[in-house]
Amino acid sequence: MFDLFYQFLSNTGYFLADYRHVIMIFVGCIFLYLGTAKKYEPLLLVPIGFGILVGNVPFFKGFGIGIYEPNSVLHYLYFGVTTGVYPSIVFLGLGAMTDFSSLLAQPKLMLLGAAAQMGIYFTLLGALFFGFLPKEAASIAIIGGADGPTSIFLTAKLAPHLIGPIAIAAYSYMALIPVIQPPIMRLLTTRQERLIRMPPGREVSRKELIIFPVVAVLLCCFLAPTALPLLGMLFLGNFLKESGVVNRLANTAQSAIIDTATIFLGFTVGCSTQGDVFLTPKALGIFFLGSVAFSIATASGVIFGKIMNLFLKEKINPLLGAAGVSAVPGSAREVHLTGLKEDPTNFLLMHGMACNSSGVIGSAICAGILWSFFI
Amino acid sequence: MFGFENITANNGWAMAVVGASIVFLGLVVLSFVISQVHKILDLWEQRDEFLNRYKKQAQIEEPKPIKAPVSRQHHLPTVKELASIYRPLVEQLKQPFNLIQLFEISNKMDLAHPHLSIKYLQEAGVLVPQGDGTFTWDKQKAN
Repeated sequence: MFDLFYQFLSNTGYFLADYRHVIMIFVGCIFLYLGTAKKYEPLLLVPIGFGILVGNVPFFKGFGIGIYEPNSVLHYLYFGVTTGVYPSIVFLGLGAMTDFSSLLAQPKLMLLGAAAQMGIYFTLLGALFFGFLPKEAASIAIIGGADGPTSIFLTAKLAPHLIGPIAIAAYSYMALIPVIQPPIMRLLTTRQERLIRMPPGREVSRKELIIFPVVAVLLCCFLAPTALPLLGMLFLGNFLKESGVVNRLANTAQSAIIDTATIFLGFTVGCSTQGDVFLTPKALGIFFLGSVAFSIATASGVIFGKIMNLFLKEKINPLLGAAGVSAVPGSAREVHLTGLKEDPTNFLLMHGMACNSSGVIGSAICAGILWSFFI
Repeated sequence: MFGFENITANNGWAMAVVGASIVFLGLVVLSFVISQVHKILDLWEQRDEFLNRYKKQAQIEEPKPIKAPVSRQHHLPTVKELASIYRPLVEQLKQPFNLIQLFEISNKMDLAHPHLSIKYLQEAGVLVPQGDGTFTWDKQKAN
């Protein structure tokens, strides 16, 4: 009887746990705390945080329970991540929720979205400098785009063994936008620059909004066909919304579909952070390089905004450059709040959203370009 | 391998420069195109007005068409009148005669529309073809 009891005990999580599981469970709790108490990106941090808890419950290997064990339920759910299915579905919903009118009203702001992608390429060099393999370096670099689904998509294609750390890093930095971006914005701009008011954008017609996704998908995907799974779905979702004739589909895409994909994406990514797989020197390197990538992306956008002002008659507020990363709408909100601190009547939110939208397109193109380098 | 050596060995510099250039180029082109969309749409929506204006302008500039002279129905005399006019001419000719001879005489006499007149006479059976290119005068039909 004691033997049976001892055998049972030896198969419990309490018996099998080691310090790595404890650390990761602690990290999961932090995610849940940030998501629920601080409301930092709760839609992402809550499923990821809970996934980290579930993924780090120790179990007896070989029972077909864990996410890395073939034929386990979690393994099947994880299939959507490793094949890039969930990111594409998320992009469909994202497109159905995005209003490109502010971008169409001021197309020059798209350049800030392009400039913010420089963080990706600086980080690519940085990752290679620290000895990562080229495909790993490209996957780490895409964190600079500050786009979780894009990071997961590219990593699934180039370095699937790094999905966990890269996804966690990407979503962590997206959640930490209010902590990371404001100091960089303030450091790189003068008060005078932060006070620059942006003119209201012109009114955009419905026809323009309908034509935009068609033109954009053709232009972007002819340039980088490897970005099709992301941009194709993004602009499909946007066309569903703007066409106005398939409201049922648009509503489903922007609610049930994206919500379902987000739950499974976040949860399985969280589950993939099993302590023994996740806590490696590489993961720490990825976290460090991810923060560098995000910071450089923010700085690139702000600096490019300042450079544009050298040539433009009508100056733009360089804070908007920080919204060129594709963390929608976090970075636009942060730009808006930073502007409001200097002048409570200066509203930059809609202009920031324009940069954000171009950042989404830019980072997806970057993912396509990086992938194509290794085909 | 670490450091710049690793970057160079893995073509990192080229990937960074080319990648950054492509994404920049792509978004610059896209921003240019979307900045022109509303102008193209405006043109498209005003196409009727534009076409009407163009048509009006074209009408003003277009030279008035030269009207072809309305062919008047020549007021030819009746067959009987023609026969009375042409009988004296035919009498000057030997039977049978060529129409050319009749035409030459009518020209000399300065008769109006000799071609049409001879044609009517022929159609009315006053001038009777002999089958060898010569004609005779039918006195009965001429009366």
